[in-house]
Amino acid sequence: MGPEEWGEEGVAGLEFLSAIETSAPVEALKRSFYVYPLVNALHILSIGALLTGVFLMDLRILGFLLAQPQAPFVRLMRRLALTAFLGAAVTGTLMFGVRATEYVANPAFALKMVLILLSGANMLVFLHFSARPNDQARRGAGRVLGLLSIVLWLGVLVCGRLIGFL
Amino acid sequence: MRSGMTRSARSGVPLLALGVLLLVVPALAHHGWSWTEDGQFRLEGIITDIYIGNPHATLDVDVEGESWRVELAPPSRTIAAGFDEGAAAPGDEVVAIGNRSRDESERRMKAARIIVGGNTYNVYPGRAPPS
Repeated sequence: MGPEEWGEEGVAGLEFLSAIETSAPVEALKRSFYVYPLVNALHILSIGALLTGVFLMDLRILGFLLAQPQAPFVRLMRRLALTAFLGAAVTGTLMFGVRATEYVANPAFALKMVLILLSGANMLVFLHFSARPNDQARRGAGRVLGLLSIVLWLGVLVCGRLIGFL
Repeated sequence: MRSGMTRSARSGVPLLALGVLLLVVPALAHHGWSWTEDGQFRLEGIITDIYIGNPHATLDVDVEGESWRVELAPPSRTIAAGFDEGAAAPGDEVVAIGNRSRDESERRMKAARIIVGGNTYNVYPGRAPPS
């Protein structure tokens, strides 16, 4: 598909991505010997912390790790996961910016973004259920959403890794 | 507990699908050389675009009206081989020697050596054929 088939919005989007690619911090990152691998390492660190937080939180919701009191443990893990997500988003955006016009066409990247949105939606649905009285139905919904969360985040992890292979 | 197990088993299906995807997709990998054919490949054309940067440098090459992507090494290694932004410009003729993608529908190769303007750059010296 060439730019002539993208329509006005597509061309504007492409210009925006090109502007990111040629912005000063991204230009510096493009040629850096140390900073790019460092940003890459921080992205991996963030993902490690994020998935640790998510999995421990979900395992507690699923009924494992019963030695931990549910409410404070889930809060702590969610805080860890959200902080780590912020780190992953910042470092990820920097690396995306280096070749924005390439990555935007990468199917693994697109799927990763969709899965992140679904994970976010999953969290919002979970929070909605958390506000309801702690009955059998709520616990059941929590288990389904917790399991879904693990599957979605594993999908995000794998898609992220595949970006460099497509 | 029993119903919990059933639910786990059912939810395991997408996980399994993910696992299968993992096994299948590395055949298309661009990291490393596993996605390329074993035999040597030579491409001649006109450079249309040069990218020297992370995660690795690339050339876009026009070969009789078809656009090819030639992947080079990471920027440090590409520049160490002598190929930096001053070494070539769009419009220059280029010969790229390396390995093409196993996927024949894909116009993509990874170069061990490129020759531009009479200069030879071995971006992967260990993989470049004897001069």
